Parts: sequence; structure tokens; C-alpha cells
Amino acid sequence: MAVRSAVPESHGELAGAHPTPLVVLASLGRMAMLTCLVLVIVYPLVWMCLAGFKSTAELFGDAWGLPGALRIENYVTAWNQGVVRYLFNSAFVTTASIFGVVLLGAWAAYGLTRLHLPFATPVLFFILGGMMLAPAVALIPLFRLLQALGIYDTYFALIVPYVAFRLPFITFLIRAYVVTLPMELEDAAVVDGASRWQIFWNVIVPLSRPILISAALLQALFAWNEFPFALVFINNDNLKTLPVGLLDMQGRLITDWPVLLAALTMASVPMILLFIVGQRQFIRGLAEGYGK
Amino acid sequence: MSVIAKRVRALSGWLYVLPALILVAVFVYYPVVENFRLSTFQWNAFSTHPRYVGLGNYAGLMADPVFWRAIFNNIAYAIVSVIWQVGFGLVLAAILEETVRARLRAFLRTVYFIPATISITVTGLLFQFLYHPQFGLVNRVLVILGHPQWTHSWLGEEATAIWAIIGMSQWQSIGYVMVLLTVAMQKIPREFYEAAYIDGTTKVQAFFLITVPLLREMTTLMMILTISGAFLVFNEVKVMTDGGPNNASQVLGTWLYRSAFQNDQMGYASAIATVIFILTFGAGVAQLWGVRGKQVEF
Amino acid sequence: MDRTASLRRRRWSLIATLLVFVLVGTCSSAGLGASASTGSQLSGSIVFLERWPEPQYAPYWKKIVADYLALHPNVRIDHQAIADQPYKDKIRVLTAAGQLPDIYFSWAGDFANKFVRAGLAADLTPYMRNTPWGNSLAPAAVDAWTHGGKIYGVPISVDAKVFLYNTKIFANNGLQVPKTIDALITTCDTLKSKGIEPIAFGNKDGWAAIHYMTSLNPKYVPRATLDKDFEPSTGEFTDPGYVAALNEFSTINKHCLTQGANGIDYTVAQAELMQGKAAMYYGQTVEFKTFTRAGGAPASFANNWDFFPMPPVPNGRGDQNLLTGAPDGFMVNAKSKHIDIAVDLLKFITDRQNAEAFTKTLGRLSSVTGTATSANAFPQLIKALRVINSASGMNIWLDTILHIDIANAYLNGLEAMLNGTKTPDQIMQDVRAAAAKVRANP
Repeated sequence: MAVRSAVPESHGELAGAHPTPLVVLASLGRMAMLTCLVLVIVYPLVWMCLAGFKSTAELFGDAWGLPGALRIENYVTAWNQGVVRYLFNSAFVTTASIFGVVLLGAWAAYGLTRLHLPFATPVLFFILGGMMLAPAVALIPLFRLLQALGIYDTYFALIVPYVAFRLPFITFLIRAYVVTLPMELEDAAVVDGASRWQIFWNVIVPLSRPILISAALLQALFAWNEFPFALVFINNDNLKTLPVGLLDMQGRLITDWPVLLAALTMASVPMILLFIVGQRQFIRGLAEGYGK
Repeated sequence: MSVIAKRVRALSGWLYVLPALILVAVFVYYPVVENFRLSTFQWNAFSTHPRYVGLGNYAGLMADPVFWRAIFNNIAYAIVSVIWQVGFGLVLAAILEETVRARLRAFLRTVYFIPATISITVTGLLFQFLYHPQFGLVNRVLVILGHPQWTHSWLGEEATAIWAIIGMSQWQSIGYVMVLLTVAMQKIPREFYEAAYIDGTTKVQAFFLITVPLLREMTTLMMILTISGAFLVFNEVKVMTDGGPNNASQVLGTWLYRSAFQNDQMGYASAIATVIFILTFGAGVAQLWGVRGKQVEF
Repeated sequence: MDRTASLRRRRWSLIATLLVFVLVGTCSSAGLGASASTGSQLSGSIVFLERWPEPQYAPYWKKIVADYLALHPNVRIDHQAIADQPYKDKIRVLTAAGQLPDIYFSWAGDFANKFVRAGLAADLTPYMRNTPWGNSLAPAAVDAWTHGGKIYGVPISVDAKVFLYNTKIFANNGLQVPKTIDALITTCDTLKSKGIEPIAFGNKDGWAAIHYMTSLNPKYVPRATLDKDFEPSTGEFTDPGYVAALNEFSTINKHCLTQGANGIDYTVAQAELMQGKAAMYYGQTVEFKTFTRAGGAPASFANNWDFFPMPPVPNGRGDQNLLTGAPDGFMVNAKSKHIDIAVDLLKFITDRQNAEAFTKTLGRLSSVTGTATSANAFPQLIKALRVINSASGMNIWLDTILHIDIANAYLNGLEAMLNGTKTPDQIMQDVRAAAAKVRANP
């Protein structure tokens, strides 16, 4: 496959030909559209950050101007209202569910493709069939099940369902990748006397790194934003994840909008920064995971 | 190996699969089956004893105008999301790939993706400010552009509420599908394009003749994901309007939640959940069907 | 030898005496504690859920819990707070999860009666009927928490819905406090013609409109009919007064209220009043503090406002002297393992000292009689107490007194009416249909 080269300046037009007015117009139109899109995306976010520095009266009076003074106390109050705790809870639950789903999914994918187990195909379809079952459908029965198991209103109340509901898709993803791995390395390991456990960790996992990264990223996106389970399965304010915690804050701060906006800003900045820093890895992870 | 040792080996192989199998069976399949059972009763948080009603809840659903409004809203969500996220996302990805310099491209891609990294609750709450009838940005822009008659109480009017929410959702997700499509697009060998350009094909034509067909599988997958996502919408609506005003912006997910936890009708909510199941089951079947083959060979 | 022995004996007797003193001291301080509350021998742990997590109210409740714990070292209190808007779903989630707290906040009316019917509300009659504690609370407030002759809740505040108005704007435009509803409409017209928003109105949460109906229905419908209709098993809503009341609200909306209110928060409406953009605001006495200097209102408004109740309808078939308002209260979980601690905490919350602090810090009228004085309450609050005490009765908020399905018919119908998509007749049709369903499925 040819190496992707940078787009040459005159790409698309016959080299050397003079660009027609239509082409110039199209190119300007494109640029305008792209710039517009950037504005539409960036402006509300910048506004949100600045609004956190305003006072309530300023917000009502001149919502779209610059703040008069930088009221950092709004951000301090937002901090004290628990934004950090919600961020931590979300990070904890997301990370735990990533580990859970990737590990269990990789095991299942390995077991069902490499170990020649009897009834592997029906079991595979059973697990993959879970992809068709939406979390919302399970809300009330799961609510009662979690209470019966005694894990209601604990971190597990979220981690376990997050893992369980994403296992079908993640297993599917990893499996599709693992079946394309060449058998030679494994055969060599078997000849060397490696156990299946060792083969899994020393051969399969390193080779599957791209798809495992993709799986982790997709799970992160799901768990970070998951709302219905987080709303119903957790009542303790100390355990609430970000989506639910912020909604609660809105209820508490109904008269203090700048503090709420400050909290929203604080809740967004970590992820944005994380993404900007890691965006190349992110794209690469996705690219390598897609199609081999 | 002895027969017993072989058996043990085979059985121990199941240990790799067992955790996943148990979790899926207990936390995914069982609740769905149990949900069917619960939907045949009338009960709620205060019930001293649940009442069996058979298919009564489903009959109630069919006659419920809010239910049909919710389905309409979910469908509207699906259609707009597909057109914008997959359709325009594809175009945007192509424009970035073909007409923009590499450094600028990376910058734009990052910027466009940023909304997707923000929690949906954050965007929902932020857009409540943007849509505010008196000092929201949307109305202010309309006034500045000279069209004050177009201003609305976006989240407060029945006709505009769900569309305002759908709009916010598109703002959030424009980058997401676009990036996934970009990744797939980069797999297409440059030679195809080079050859086409030498033959005199314009970029637009190349888009339709090369890019679109070769990405068919990825776009189908994205379409199915977007559509099933549209039927599972909950977060945005709950945060922005809680289904109001007058239930005009209810979607199946929020109507389920409200029936269970505000209207004291959990059996009814389970019936709604069953309907969601049927719809997403269809989408899931399509998903598996659409990607059952290998990728397009280059 | 004798000296050391006698010294030793003296030392021991000294120690013994000290010990006796210490023991007596502890016992008697325990005894003193017993007379201050019902005994620091109370031990156990309870969950206490209240409805005020906002930064301006939270410290008051934290202090109450801390003070109580100081007096009862063997008690543990898990203190939780959920805000007003999410409270209705959260309490149901907790109930369904079997996690209903030992003490939980509730609104009076069918909202509370639901818990009673489900066996989740402890019968507090033995603690409150004809007892010193019960008698210290306003009778009308306790009455709102009585169902089937038994008392199930402890009121902690009284509240009333009134029209706040900017006295300066009224004076500048030669306006008087309207004596009838028609006079109110005329006042609105005058204000509108001068470019002033007559009544600030924000209905985003839905209850603002319902509060208007809570006041209007009783003016057009006889009291006995209302009481019959509030009962889920006998509600019919066929009286023509209901439609008349909705028509009146529609008129008020057209002439007086902020348009597009379904998308506007009630706090925005408050701000409009405070900034002089609107002349009136239909609000609750518990909101009064917001409009004082101490509550953060600008001086230009804080010194220039007063209030009047919803004016009477001169040919209305209902009782024109009823006032809208309901006491906030707490109920005790009948299944609690520590009803004694719960009751004791509630007694503590409603004792004289804490009730006066309640009025002083939160600016709300306590249900404990005689606790609002010029020492701890601002003038409008004292006038409010007078107005409440002179009303012939109180109307409980329509959305909490009605069965949830009928309440929803009203809530949704009113939102639609404000958007112009439903007429009063259509709303009552929905209400009657909901009432029929509720009658059939008690």
C-alpha cells in the first residue's frame, strides 16, 4: 500500500493549469465552511469558561460580553461543590470497567477462537447476541437484581453492568482481530512448551495491542457518558459520576449560574486536554484497530 | 495425553470464556427476560402487591399519544443524525483529506472532535443557556442578523423543543463519526486517486466514484450505530427538558424513566422497555448482518 | 507506721470521694440531658433526608445535625439532601430500592398519602395529639398532615403564595393594590401600556402555573366539591367552576404574564422583579428572603416591596378567603428501626430555639407558633404570618394534593395552554379522563 503523502498544493487541478473562478469560489466556500464550524464549536466553550468568572447580575445583564472582574471564587465554590469528586468517580468507574471489559473480552475471544472448545460457536453467538440488548431495557430488572445482590449504591453497581453490557461488542471486536492473527507464533510457542496462559499473555496480547487500545477507547467513551444506570443505581452523593453529579449541581445551584458554568468548565477541561495531548495516539489506535 | 487429562484441559479452556459468559447471561440476558415478565404487571414503588394485567400495559401503550410522540421523536433523531453525522461527516472527512494541508488537517480534526470528549450533561446544561429565550446566544444572533421574528423559546415551545435538542446533539457528535470515517478513508490506497486525477476526474467526482463505494461497509456500520444510538437517547433530553413541555420532547428512554419514577407505573415502563428492545434488536441484527463479511479487499 | 497507714487511708478516701463526685456528676449531667431532650441514652443510627442542599441553606441543617449529635453522643446520623426538582423521582427510586430514609421530607396531600397507603409513614398521633410538642405547632399546619384522623407528618414551616409587588412602580403609576381579580387585570393593562412587564412568570418546572390554578380553582368551585374531587376514589372534576378558573388564568396570562414562560426559570422571573423590569411576581413567602438585602437583592428593590394575596373573584361560588400555601414537613419511615430517635430529632428541629433560628437564618416562617418576631424576622415576613393566621383555610399545592396522574393532566395541560395548543375545555377533559382512570384503579 502506498505511503500517504502530504497533499500537494495544486492537488486536484491539472498541474500548471490556471484555476478557474469556480474552483476558487469553491475553495473559498470550503474554507468559510470549515472556519464557521470551528467558530460554532469553539465559541460556546470559550463563553462557558468566561461565564464562570462573571457574577449572576452580569450574566443576566450582558451575557455575551467579557466579565468585569475575574471572579475566581466561582471556580472555588464549584470545586467545593464536588466537581472533583464527580470527576474522580467517573474516572474510577471508567477505568475499572475498561480493565474488566478488555480483559474478559480478550479471554473470551481467545477461548472461543484458539482453544477449539466444543460448542464454541453457539456460545459465541450467545455472547454476541447480547449486542442487541439495550441497557435501558434492563433498567428496572437490573435495579432489583443489584439490590438483591447487595451491590446497589456501590461502585460495583456501575462497573459490573458497564462491563456486562459492553462485553458482546468488545468481544466481537477483539475476536474479529484475533482470527486474523497468524498461527505461526502460537505454534512456535506450543512447541516451546508454553501453557495456554503463557500463550495468551506473551503472544496474543502483544499482537492484539492495536485492537485492545481501540476497545479501551470505545469503552471509555461509553462509560464516561453513561447516564441512566448512573442515575438510578447510585444515590450516595460521594459515589456519583460526572453526568449525574452535574445534574444534581444544577438542582442545587439553581440561583447561582456562574458557579454552575464554572463547574461545567472544570468538568470538561481534563478530557479536552487529555484528548489534545493524546489525539495522535487515539487516531493511530483506531486506525490500527480497523481492518488489518 | 490421557483421556482424563484431555478432558480437564478442554474444561479448563472454558475458564477463559466463563467470566464473560456468566456476566452476559446474568446481567444482560436475565434482566431482559425478567423485563418481559415485569411488563405484565401493574406495580410501582409504593405497591403493596403487584397486579397481573397480562398485555394490558401494551394495550395502554398503543393508545398512549405520548408513546407515539416519543417514537416520532426518536425517528426524527435517527434521521437527522444519519444525515448530519454520517452524510455530512463523510463529506467533511473527505474535504479534510483531499483539500487541506496536513498540519491544518490535524488541527481541524482535533477541534471538531473536542465536543465529543465533553460529557453530554455538560453540553446539555451549556445549551440551556444558549437556547435561553431572553439572553441566549441563538436568539441574540438572530436579532443581530435582523430577524427578531425568528426568535423562540427554543426549549419551552412544543414545536421546537425536540429539534433544539437534536441540534445540540449534532453539535456534539460532528467530530466523532467524522474521525472514524477518516480512519477508514486513510486505508484507501492513494493510487486510486492518483490514477483518477491523471484521467481528469475532479475531486468531487472522485469522492462519489472512489471514496463512497469503498467506504460502504464503514458507513453502513456508522449508520447502524447512529440509528440504534438515536433510539437509546436519554441523557440530553432528561437534562434539557425532562421530556417537556407537555411531553412534546419525550423520547422512549425518558418516557420509560418518567413512567417508572415519576408516574408510579413500573409495569408500564417495562412495556416501553420491551418496545425499545424490539427496535434495537432489529438494529443489532442489521449490524451483525452488515459486517458479517470481510472488508472490501484492495 | 501509723502515720503512713493513716495517710494512705486518707489518700484512698480522697480518691473515693472524688470518684463519687465524678459518678454523681456524670449521672446528673445525663439527668440534665434527659430533661433537655428525651435522653442521651438514645443510641442507634438513622438516615435523615432533607430538601435543602443549596449553599445558602445547607449550613443551617449541618449545624442542627451537629448540635443534635453533640447532645446525643450515641446516635449516628447519615445526613442527606436532595434538591427540590429532582426530589420527586429520587424519593421514588429510594422507595423502590427499599432505602427510604428514617426521616424524609414530603409535601402534604396525596404525595404524603401515597406513603401512608403503602405503610411507609409512621403514625405520629401518639406523639403529637394533645401533647406539649403537638400544641406548639400551628394547628392548620398539623391539619395538613392529618389523614384519616391520624397525624403522619411533622410540619416545619408554613408558607403562602402571594403577589409581591414593587411599591415604587405602583406609586409612580398611580396604582393601588387591586381589590378584585378584574382590578388586577386592569392594573396589568396599565403597566403594559407603560412598557413594564406586569407579572414576571417562569414556568420551566411546571409548578408555577399550577400554583395559579391552586388559587383560582377554590374561588370558582365550592369547598365541599373540591374536597370530594381531591380524594382519588371520588374525584370527578365536573363542576363548571374548573373551566371558569382556567379561563381566568388564560385571561391573566394574556394580560399580565411573561410570554414564552415554559422556557424560563422561576429564578429569572425573580430577577426581573428585583431589577425593576417587572412590577409583580406571584411567589411564596419562603422566597421572601431572596428579596431582602440580606438575601442579595439590590437596595433599590429590597426597601420598596410589599405583597397582597390573590384578590377575590366577586361572583365566584367558592370560598374567597382561602389562601394558597402548604407546610413543608417530614415524615418518619414506619419501617424504621429507630422511630424513637427520628421523633426525637424532629422534636429538636421544631423546638423554640431552632425554630427561631430557622426564621432568622433561612427567612422562612416556622410552623412553631410565636417564633416570628421583629427580633428575627423582617417586616414582610411578620405581615405574612398575620395574613396566614387570618385566612379561613389553606389550599395545598394542586400538584401535590392530587393523585399524580391527575396532577400530570393539569401540569401538561397548562404547559400546552401557555403555548396556545390546548383550550381550558380540553384540559378539563384530560383531567376528567385521568380522574376516571384513578377512580377505577385505586
